[in-house]
Amino acid sequence: MEEPAININLKIPKDADGILNYIHQVVSALQERIALDEAIVRNVKLILVELVTNSIKHSNDDNALIELSVAHPTLTIQKVDKGLQIEFAEDSHKIPFVDVNKTVMVSFSETKKHHIKILDKYQFKFLDAYKEGITIDYMPEHFGLYIITLASDSFVYQHDPKLQENRFIVNLKLRD
Amino acid sequence: MNLSKEKVNGILVVTIEEKEANLSKSDRFKELIVEEINVGERKIIVSFKNVEYLDSSFLGALVGVLKILLPLNGKLVITELNADIENLFELTRLNKIFVIKNDLQTAMLDF
Repeated sequence: MEEPAININLKIPKDADGILNYIHQVVSALQERIALDEAIVRNVKLILVELVTNSIKHSNDDNALIELSVAHPTLTIQKVDKGLQIEFAEDSHKIPFVDVNKTVMVSFSETKKHHIKILDKYQFKFLDAYKEGITIDYMPEHFGLYIITLASDSFVYQHDPKLQENRFIVNLKLRD
Repeated sequence: MNLSKEKVNGILVVTIEEKEANLSKSDRFKELIVEEINVGERKIIVSFKNVEYLDSSFLGALVGVLKILLPLNGKLVITELNADIENLFELTRLNKIFVIKNDLQTAMLDF
């Protein structure tokens, strides 16, 4: 029998000192509803830390929240906030995109470069964070989006220009 | 940012006395370690025994410290990571870049 979908919505704390309690709260709420193996819980924690950190750093929305939903076999974690679309460095591609279905490199700043696949005008998926390999020289000092990409099975950014809403959508496949 | 420091056999052992190694502490952490490097410390161990989680900002600060220390022929060993933090290093493949040891005693032997 298919298990019913689970939905949890929790408002994101506004400062970094609230992160630890928030992560405990979210993970407890999730574990009350579903049995998760330790490896998944570890990745969920990493993803939550980085989504909340991203919100504290970049969002001015007091009502930014994390939404979790489970529809077996997928756990989806979304960070939702109101505001302007994600901005890339000047020499990068721009939203709304024109090169749909293409894989491109975008720059968030000099030290933050990512390969993305453009899914439509307002949506893209983060791709392999270490396509160029890993060396101390190449290594950035900003890992947030890398970590989410590596800890998940898919990581998509979506902007709704009408609602002025940003969604970071992270999917993890749950093991049997 | 609460750190404790101890010099043992010529090695600076820095213990992070915080549960959260995050963006509110990462800049200060880097500053404090760079100050130690600037006064000549080249052998450094950082212990995470009190730390429950480490975020990308703090990870970036560690990378920043390593980038400063390596060209000076220095060495940084990190130790006493919990399972969540170990997972972070494995996932980001930074376990291939950093020297990571299970406990302080083993970390000391690496110098």
